[in-house]
Amino acid sequence: MRRIRIGVATAAVFAVTLMTACGSGDEPDDVSDAGDAGSSGDSGNGTDDGEAGGEPVTISVSNLPPSTESATREAFLARVEEFEEANPDITVEPKEYEWDVTTFAAQLAGGTLPTTFEFPFTDGKALIERGQLADITAEVEDLPYAAEFNPSVLDVAQDEAGNIYAVPSAAYGMGLHYNRALFEEAGLDPDQPPTSWDEVREYADAIAEETGQAGFAQMTQNNTGGWILTTLTYALGGRMEEGVGEDVTATLDNDGARRALGLLQSMRWEDDSMGDNFLYDWGTINQAFAAGQVGMYIGGSDVYNSLVTENGIDPDDYGLTVLPLEGDDAGVLGGGTIVGVRPDASEAERAAAVKWIDFYYMSKLTDEESAVADAEALAANDAPIGTPTLPVFDEEQLAKSDAWVADYVNVPLEQMMPFKENILSQPLVPEPPVKAQDLYAELDSVVQAVLTEEDADIDRLLTTANDNVSALLSR
Amino acid sequence: MTRAAGLGRDPGDIGAASPSSTGTTTGTTTGAGTSTGAGPQRPASSGGKPPRRRTARGRAARGRTSRGPSAPATDRGFLSDFDWRRPHVRWTMRGAHSLLLIGLVVGCVGPMLWLTKAAISTTQDTLRAPMELWPSGVDWDNLSTAWNQAEISTYFANTVWVALGSWFFQLLVATTGGYVLAVLRPAYARVITGAVLATLFLPGVIVLVPLFLTVLDLPLLNVSLLNTYWAVWLPAGANAFNVLLVKRFMDSLPGDVFEAARMDGAGPLRMLWSVALPMSKPVLGVVSIFAVLNAWKDFLWPLIVLPEPTMQPLSVRLPIIRDTVELDVFLAALLISMALPIAIFLVFQRLFLRNAGLGGAVKG
Amino acid sequence: MSATIRWVRHGGLSTLLLLLPLLLAFGYFGWYPIGRAVVMSFQETNLVTEPVWVGLDNFRSVLADPLFWTSVRNTAYFTVLALLFGYPIPLVLAVLMSEVRRYKGLFSALAYLPVVVPPVVAVLLWRVFYDASSSGVFNTILGWFGLGPFPWIQDASSAMPSLVLQATWSNAGATVIIYLAALTSVRTELYDAAEVDGAGVWGKIWNVTLPQLRGILLITLILQVIATFQIFTEPYLMTGGGPNNATTTVLLQIYDYAFRFGDYGAATALSLLLALFLAVMSAVYFRLTRSWSTT
Repeated sequence: MRRIRIGVATAAVFAVTLMTACGSGDEPDDVSDAGDAGSSGDSGNGTDDGEAGGEPVTISVSNLPPSTESATREAFLARVEEFEEANPDITVEPKEYEWDVTTFAAQLAGGTLPTTFEFPFTDGKALIERGQLADITAEVEDLPYAAEFNPSVLDVAQDEAGNIYAVPSAAYGMGLHYNRALFEEAGLDPDQPPTSWDEVREYADAIAEETGQAGFAQMTQNNTGGWILTTLTYALGGRMEEGVGEDVTATLDNDGARRALGLLQSMRWEDDSMGDNFLYDWGTINQAFAAGQVGMYIGGSDVYNSLVTENGIDPDDYGLTVLPLEGDDAGVLGGGTIVGVRPDASEAERAAAVKWIDFYYMSKLTDEESAVADAEALAANDAPIGTPTLPVFDEEQLAKSDAWVADYVNVPLEQMMPFKENILSQPLVPEPPVKAQDLYAELDSVVQAVLTEEDADIDRLLTTANDNVSALLSR
Repeated sequence: MTRAAGLGRDPGDIGAASPSSTGTTTGTTTGAGTSTGAGPQRPASSGGKPPRRRTARGRAARGRTSRGPSAPATDRGFLSDFDWRRPHVRWTMRGAHSLLLIGLVVGCVGPMLWLTKAAISTTQDTLRAPMELWPSGVDWDNLSTAWNQAEISTYFANTVWVALGSWFFQLLVATTGGYVLAVLRPAYARVITGAVLATLFLPGVIVLVPLFLTVLDLPLLNVSLLNTYWAVWLPAGANAFNVLLVKRFMDSLPGDVFEAARMDGAGPLRMLWSVALPMSKPVLGVVSIFAVLNAWKDFLWPLIVLPEPTMQPLSVRLPIIRDTVELDVFLAALLISMALPIAIFLVFQRLFLRNAGLGGAVKG
Repeated sequence: MSATIRWVRHGGLSTLLLLLPLLLAFGYFGWYPIGRAVVMSFQETNLVTEPVWVGLDNFRSVLADPLFWTSVRNTAYFTVLALLFGYPIPLVLAVLMSEVRRYKGLFSALAYLPVVVPPVVAVLLWRVFYDASSSGVFNTILGWFGLGPFPWIQDASSAMPSLVLQATWSNAGATVIIYLAALTSVRTELYDAAEVDGAGVWGKIWNVTLPQLRGILLITLILQVIATFQIFTEPYLMTGGGPNNATTTVLLQIYDYAFRFGDYGAATALSLLLALFLAVMSAVYFRLTRSWSTT
């Protein structure tokens, strides 16, 4: 079966037709796509017939969960079906595509990028600047809630002239995840998570001492080390970049960052409470946490979803609280997901894509009926519902949409209350505005140095990193 | 310079001109390359025709008989029969050989035995007591969980498909190309041979990025091969090493056989199919085995050109699976991924070891 | 015209058709990318806008990158360590194995077995072995002898040797087999001659065996250097270049330029520099072998 499908798809290649036919989608679609494109002679963007209006249009959409996560996958497919029923002209091809900065440009150039795709706040500005997103201002402004976006959130999807290139669909704040079972084993009260960094250190020490697992662990690889260090720095009142637009300067060498690294250094070398693994990235630390090898770690507030669907965590063991904020200007790092459209999408595809974004991502926040439908689909497949998020519009709207689906919540909300009750009172600070990923990459090695070299010189490391990032910013 | 580069390059690996080389060559590189490294080296070193023919013939002979040409002469190593009769020499050597055997079993097979054990142990056993044998029982389910839930079956099938396609294109290019260059020998054959040889001299790494951009947008055709298996198969065909190997082998086939076939009115294609190919079985076997094995091992290139998760082969998928399944299931997945190459090796052991060793003929 | 007809009639066309697979494969995936590499190294390519000529800018920015010398140093360090571990061990094994009288095939097969394990599997498996806790596989074994626990890949100073150890395990078998084959073609009459002169076992190894392996030893040396300079899978999967860039190699750097930061020009510029260096290595090696073989 598989071979036949590939055969059909590859035959299309040799016929010098378009490429979106290959790789995914089911067989009949591939064939018809190939036929269409052959006649239009358009390569690189298969589903484009160029006409708008009531003509049938096909769009591909990202983030179909892989079949190993059957619960969320079924829920996703159910939503696709509903959408197609409501929009008979639009055919949706779900793809397992997930944002990956290493393949994005190539997939765009190679024509295999889906019509719409999710990506993190951090990459918004860079994509807009490089012309890698379609301008969807007109389509977005037609949405009834267009004026209600939280301006600071919408900003990540706009260029300097205010044109809109993507829609913010979810926002999160960073939180402290902890393992309640390890807390208990170490004689700590899982309902009283730490409220200061000194306490975090103390608790980590106790966990390491009593359970032999890492009391506190930290991501260090693939830019996550810089991401978490920046979070920690914000929480201690520092900032990694100051200024706006052209005038942004690197300020890696700040007191907050020094304190943050100092904290890691003492936990690692004085207390030895950070375990033995210092080469974690997002996937591996989640895995280790779900397996009970990590007492506490910092991550996005919505990570519980992955812990359930990918790592099979025991819900009883999970706890989430806010990061302690210390210092004058302390804040919690916030990020999120935005959904954009390929720059070479036709008008009809753009319109269909924004319809999909409205239907799949936004309506559950803005419309009770859709919110319930979405929750039902998730609940029917035992996929997590109710993980705390931050408002894309405003707090009131978030409270309302939370209330709509309250009956379907299947995550241990009680254990997330320390976070939920306090997060809205914490000042939210966006990620560094310019070249965030490069800055994070630079900080990765700083974090790794502190965690793997006993006598690492924090001041010197920060000065060097600051010089390197300054050089990047001035280019 | 040419010779040096030739020596340096060709044993590098079978995928000399293909990106697979950059991904897979480490340490002393694969046995495949080295073996057949004997191939293009000589023509390169002598730079002229005559030695090429001679060595090719010598090589062919070696390829076909199980005994090397030096076999009759040597039935001894640095120890003479006299040495062997001296008790302390004999016992030292026996002791050394026993230690060697133990060392090889522990060092080379040990890690695989451990993996086999761990693949059917529970995660907690592996984490807490990695060197004990199933303290809390054998967990056979890991293998089926890995095969079904973690979808190793899909990626296994993808890998087989990648390997078969690569094998086919390598064989297609090498046999037709080698045949034209060695048997039909058109006037421009030397130029083509030189151009093919030239790709051997350049380290595979320099073409990694431009090759990728080529695959993204094939010149003239303006199609992208990204996320199709063609992106892996077709570049695998551009393997100078195979072409030269087959060419050298066919160089050594007796010319009168082709003359006779031509007299009987056979066209070039028929001569290839009914005369050249059947006579070239040994070299085709070598090319085939290493084509399949190297496709199975390849990592960097499929990682780059197959971003679509459902199409990826095992080598690309395993590092990602690690983050989403439990350790015991992951180790089971590793075991499954390793099984087929090892089985192929055990079945074709002689072929491997003989050809991995042919590099020895380079000496001198 | 008639020349063309004659050419076709003499099989010129069918010859060309038979050569077509080779011409297409090498044209597209061999010769063209090589030429393109040179062009691209002088261009800024980002896959979005048309490539722009930038002269030597790519080379300048590659050389100015603070990670350039780090990656060169690391790669050289890997190569040196790989020579220290991976060069003598196969030789000793092969010399010993050459005197095995029975089950020689078994010895060879055992030594070669790790070579057929896919590198990704080997690296991921060894990453488990290198677990730095005291209940890691290697730390458990060393613990029996009262050693460790060692941090293995979790420490900047031991990360690289750990990678080399794994790479040696994966590759040494192939070298052993090459040496074994070379040993069978040692001219045995020289042993007889040495024995007549009264040479002992060591004398024979030192004066007869090793000198005759000189050619193959040099070849494997240069091959190993060339191969280790292209090391990628091990650092990419084992350490991601860490800790603190201790295992960032040149190829990892090329990969990062191209596929992490989308700077294809810098990636090809660095590739060319590496290729140039390897060509020089080959040339030096050639001179060495020639002068050696003539003396």
